[in-house]
Amino acid sequence: MIGQIVKKQALILLRNPIQILLLVGLPIILIAILSTALGGMMMGGGSPNIHVKVALVEHGDEEEEIQRFLGELEDEGMPREAIKEMETGIEQMAPVSMLKDEVFGSEEAREFVELHEVEATELTEIWDDNSYTAVVEVPENFTYESLEYLVLNHNSQPVLEVSQNDEQQIGPMIVNEILTQFQEQLTLGAFLQKNGIEQGAIQVDEGIFTGEALTLDQENPIGSQEYYAVGMTVMNVLFIASTIGTIAFMEKKIHVFDRIILGNVSRWEYFIGVLLSGTLFSFIHLLIVYGFSWIVYGVKWPNLLSFFTVTASLAIAIGGIAVLLTAISYRFNSEMITNFFSGIVVTLMAVLGGSFFPIGDSSAFIQMLGNLTPNGAGMSSYLMILRGDDIGEISHHVLFLVLFAATSIIIAAISFPKRGRAV
Amino acid sequence: MLELVDLSKKFKQMDAVKNLNMFIEKGEIIGLLGPNGAGKSTAISMLSSLIEPTKGDVRFQNKSMIKHPAPLRKVIGVVPQEIALYEDLTAEENMRFFGRIYRLRGTQLKKKIDEVLEQIGLTDRRKDIVKTFSGGMKRRLNIGVAMLHDPEIIIMDEPTVGIDPQSRNYILETVKRLNKEKQMTVLYTSHYMEEVEFLCDRIYIMDKGNLIASGTKDEIKRILSAEKTISIQAERWNDEFIEELKQNPTVNRVTVGEKEITVIIPKEVNMFSAIIRMAENADMELHSVDVQTPTLEDVFLHLTGRALRD
Repeated sequence: MIGQIVKKQALILLRNPIQILLLVGLPIILIAILSTALGGMMMGGGSPNIHVKVALVEHGDEEEEIQRFLGELEDEGMPREAIKEMETGIEQMAPVSMLKDEVFGSEEAREFVELHEVEATELTEIWDDNSYTAVVEVPENFTYESLEYLVLNHNSQPVLEVSQNDEQQIGPMIVNEILTQFQEQLTLGAFLQKNGIEQGAIQVDEGIFTGEALTLDQENPIGSQEYYAVGMTVMNVLFIASTIGTIAFMEKKIHVFDRIILGNVSRWEYFIGVLLSGTLFSFIHLLIVYGFSWIVYGVKWPNLLSFFTVTASLAIAIGGIAVLLTAISYRFNSEMITNFFSGIVVTLMAVLGGSFFPIGDSSAFIQMLGNLTPNGAGMSSYLMILRGDDIGEISHHVLFLVLFAATSIIIAAISFPKRGRAV
Repeated sequence: MLELVDLSKKFKQMDAVKNLNMFIEKGEIIGLLGPNGAGKSTAISMLSSLIEPTKGDVRFQNKSMIKHPAPLRKVIGVVPQEIALYEDLTAEENMRFFGRIYRLRGTQLKKKIDEVLEQIGLTDRRKDIVKTFSGGMKRRLNIGVAMLHDPEIIIMDEPTVGIDPQSRNYILETVKRLNKEKQMTVLYTSHYMEEVEFLCDRIYIMDKGNLIASGTKDEIKRILSAEKTISIQAERWNDEFIEELKQNPTVNRVTVGEKEITVIIPKEVNMFSAIIRMAENADMELHSVDVQTPTLEDVFLHLTGRALRD
């Protein structure tokens, strides 16, 4: 009998294309709009696509300057064996090669830096080309003077000449930052050299090129599409509860419920039918919207067991809300509570639960409130799964969802009118 | 077969039904008459076990059904006043759902659906969504759903409200046929007196929660056997004419309608010429003056002082 009630609810829902469109189509549209519009606000994801085009002009010849430097060492009477040994180390210290190969040429930098080595004769043309972010000029004797500074502590550290394209906003800052770090590393290298510390220590810290922002507990960063796919889905699934509540109240209003009771169907069978409808349809709703997000927005779940556990728990919680709304509307013989839920409570829960913006930046109290909503707990769980957390780490949210469902069902069962009260 | 004993229902401070006593025998068509708010629907809800009475008992085959109504529910089919159907489902889907509710399945269910659709004349519309049906078709399907499990007793709460005369006749004929061919017991509530007169063997009349009369049609009409009804029609009424009628010592009751005045007088009195004279005195043009044998409507009027549809 319960199966018949669920089947009938499904048929009624399927015969209402506008309702289906609102339940399934709306979150999909909202994911697209919000992830695009608010992507810039998201931590870790949705950052602007940075592309830096750098022109490198060498006014000197690094190889020739290295040889000149070594020759000078010989002239100054340095033993031949010592020069031979230094020759090997100096190749690793060649600043221009290091800049080209280990800084701009590193795997991380190559993702957003496009380096062009150009001749000095082409400089005028390059300056007119607006696509370049910066032009880095290596002055004549730069390598020679750098080695003198690093190895012999002669002169001061030479500097690179950098011309920036001021029409670009972020790119010049990035180039500046890279070059500052590079020069600091060279200075550090000189310090290490003088104090007899390993030459291998003169390595540019690769961490400066990391393109993704990491937070302390975040293995995989969450992009805006992932965030809003979860946010909109957990918000919209709440409407399944009000939809089921509305159908159930309509059954009372037009006396179909009376007919069901007269068929010797226990009111508890009907109650369970409503609960299962809410749970099952919510589960299907979540799978459809997440399935669509996977296909269209590439939102993938690293741990399917955790995903299905959270989805099932959230669906049961929504089923609990559906049966609670049904019981209260039957008790007061009014649809007002269901309308209030879908019109106001869902929006409040969505805001508190973090569907529109991350609640991680809010106060601890707001975060706690958010996690005390089923959508908020579901959202926190889903985001943790996306970050790479395992099922053990989301267990407290899952437990909350199950307890929420149990509480709703118990209150609904107590409120559901007994025979003789419903007229 | 089915008995209501001192049945009462109180909603907060309002007595919806007061000490109602009724019995229904197998194969009868019983009429429950009364204006809106008389307590008919509450009485039916208690009888069909949907609400518990405040006091009294519902007995089926001499057993109380108040606490354990399952045996009664198995044998009754209820046609509610509202169209209790899923408008977004087809006629057949509605029947299949309610058939399954009554534990019918497989070929038995299919056979029953075919049979009932035939009886209510909706076979060719079985695949259509109910919301595309006319009011009359919905009413017929509303009845059909209550007949799926072959109930011994069918309870119909104003099943012809708001439909066209053709559909109304179809429903009345269907009820008559079911009673005749299947010996189905029918409890029929209505505020259309002519429907009850056409269908019912015995009649109960309710007003303001009370049972005010009961018996066969003839027994009830005999309440007015010592009286007769004169129906007067005119273009417009004159207060002087109405006042003179009311003051006449031989007149038992005067009821003024929009286009008709009903006068109840003792059977032996002849007032025809007196009415013509009163109209002339009041300078009023009469359209017709009919002397009628009493109808159930007249009985109701006599008992309550108001028309059924007031």
